[in-house]
Amino acid sequence: MNGRPDAPPIIAIAKIKNAMRICALDEHARTLGLHKGQTLSDARALVPSLECFDLDMAGDGNLLAGIAGWCDRYTPLVAIDGSDGLFLDISGCTHLFGGENALVEDIVTRLRAQGFSVRAAIADTPGAAWAMARYGTETIVPAEKTRDMIGPLPLAALRLEAQTVTDLNRMGLKTIDCVADVARAPLATRFGSDVLRRLDQALGREDEVISPLTPVPELSAERRFADPIALQDDIEHTIRQLASHLKTSFEQRGVGARRLEMRLFRVDGQVQSLAVRASTPLRDADRILSLFKERISALHDGLDAGFGFDLVRLNILECDAYDSRQIDLIDGVGPEDETHALIDRLGARLGTDRVRQFARADTHIPERSFGTVPASLARPGKQDEAGFDLGLTSSQTLPLIRPVFFLNHPEPVEAIAGVPEGPPIRFRWRKALYEVTRSEGPERIACEWWRDGRNALSRDYFRVEDQVGYRFWLFRHGLYERETATPQWYMHGLFP
Amino acid sequence: MHAATKLQDLHALRHAVRNLSERHDRPASRHGRLAFGISAIDAALHGGLTIGALHEVRCGFARDIGAATGFLSAILAGLSAQKHGRILWIDDPASSLDAGHLFPAGLAQLGLDPARFVIVRPVDLQGAMWAASEAVKCAGLTAIILHLKGNPAGFDMTATRRLMLRAQKNGVLTFLLRQSGAEEASAAATRWCVRPAPSNGAADFEPGIGMMRLSLVLERNRNGPTGQWSISWNHSKRAFEHVPEDFVSRLHSPADRPDSPPQMGQVVALERAS
Repeated sequence: MNGRPDAPPIIAIAKIKNAMRICALDEHARTLGLHKGQTLSDARALVPSLECFDLDMAGDGNLLAGIAGWCDRYTPLVAIDGSDGLFLDISGCTHLFGGENALVEDIVTRLRAQGFSVRAAIADTPGAAWAMARYGTETIVPAEKTRDMIGPLPLAALRLEAQTVTDLNRMGLKTIDCVADVARAPLATRFGSDVLRRLDQALGREDEVISPLTPVPELSAERRFADPIALQDDIEHTIRQLASHLKTSFEQRGVGARRLEMRLFRVDGQVQSLAVRASTPLRDADRILSLFKERISALHDGLDAGFGFDLVRLNILECDAYDSRQIDLIDGVGPEDETHALIDRLGARLGTDRVRQFARADTHIPERSFGTVPASLARPGKQDEAGFDLGLTSSQTLPLIRPVFFLNHPEPVEAIAGVPEGPPIRFRWRKALYEVTRSEGPERIACEWWRDGRNALSRDYFRVEDQVGYRFWLFRHGLYERETATPQWYMHGLFP
Repeated sequence: MHAATKLQDLHALRHAVRNLSERHDRPASRHGRLAFGISAIDAALHGGLTIGALHEVRCGFARDIGAATGFLSAILAGLSAQKHGRILWIDDPASSLDAGHLFPAGLAQLGLDPARFVIVRPVDLQGAMWAASEAVKCAGLTAIILHLKGNPAGFDMTATRRLMLRAQKNGVLTFLLRQSGAEEASAAATRWCVRPAPSNGAADFEPGIGMMRLSLVLERNRNGPTGQWSISWNHSKRAFEHVPEDFVSRLHSPADRPDSPPQMGQVVALERAS
């Protein structure tokens, strides 16, 4: 990693077992005879010119996650293994890169070019690949030769705990061959079932599932560039192309995209991903492109193209059934479609959770009686089912007993009531004094004991009107003498 | 010869003036008008509120927001019976700090379906302005309300003119709800100032609170006179009614003291001298 020919060896240290020990070291340090776990004082005695710095676990984790994101260009199934490894499930992907050899070559070359030292191996099982990458010399383990090739490797290659490995070594069991051949039952009783499980996993007798970092997209289209692209016009053109490629797949499945993600792989290994959400299933390439355009223009400093992007991928993360309708030849696009397109555009630019609509909740507590949900998440055609009582069906109209504007947090007011249980006579809210001339109430709303606990206070709501004509919604928190000695008054809403 | 040229010039000028005045009128009225049902107000508006236009509803204080929203909701309830699109309510983040948020149950009682509302809450004023100018392009919407607080410097004449032109083009009723803001020049077709007025008590329960009653001032009207009215809500008809002005409560300015500062919206029609 260091370009200077006279550079000293570099190590990362951390405090382990009450001593500063080496956690990571570069190739140069390894050739000088240093190894992991050695104390810093020993290492300094061997190599006085040593350059050392503290281990940054979080930074390493971020870096590894970044590499994992970059590896997404090979396969969508990438999992992080410990603090220094990655698993890539490349089943069915190798032909895209010209075979297994070429794939490994490509990964290793590109990562080395980015300045990492890499070991990679391909095998039938994650265990065998892990063993070969860390302890073996081969790159590719063919399916029928797994047993033969990982047999001579040391036991540590089985991903066992250090203590177990030491114990097994004391017994003279040094290689995988040794444990693979001995009787299984005594081994399990003596060293635990872990040894057998790891052995079976490496040899493919037991399945091992790797958990990928990102969910696998339902559909995906990508385009690689021999010459990296950097212009926004080129990127938009590519997205449009990819989206129109996907159209046939949408039509075959009878779906449209609800959630889409664009991933831009930069030449230097950085990956940028932008996600958008659609309120109705989308198929049209132009509408997909317009969403991404809004999303790009919402970025504070635009896309950082660096030296260019060499791979652009469009992932469809969520699909929904697409109901094909006949287009009205006179009106063209229906007003509903236009509105959905607007909601999507607003969501792409401002953030999906900033474009919302009301949803009803089944409770009497005013602030809990409704919520808002992102408008793009709501299922289309179900807006009538939100269930607000409009009183249109019944012959009698609803009384106007609820305010139109509502304070998110009830604000305390200083109120004077004629009788302890009665409405306020005058009150002070936001430093202004109001003389109440008319009032209605109380409307008692009890707390929800199953949520607020047994001692939560009831509310007595009053609608009051002052001399000038302001109409307010106030409540007294707590029943006088039954729940509290000095009930507090709160302002909760404004009537028209 | 000389007189004929003059006459020609005069005709050309009159034609130009007519064109200018029609340019404001025609595209707006193409999308129809929304009548109030109160003859005095409808006369001032030439038949009602133009649907394809920007209108400003202003209230002097944050506590007046209830009245202003009530006024708007009543208009929207009337319109939403005719048009079946969504209603886009854009909240400037500064506005909701003072006044809180819309309460769906209250809207439903005024006859507006809360499920038709789409609430947009951008992080800043620029986002709100962008959302409004984007939404006005969408003819499928019933109405757009941009809720602002005060008179922000970023929202200027150019921004209102853009909204007005797009509203005219697409026929979307666009409102600028200016909470605790002063009068400001804008391209809006009308500007209203709304204040609550004391209700006269419920019909069946005298000490109770009656229907909402508002004191309306039409401060600016591009194509007609301004005016001042007192209106009250008739809940069974779901419409506003005119309340005859209560002249007793208004005092004349005293003769021996300086005149009070002129108030907005009170226009006295004097007979012409010539």
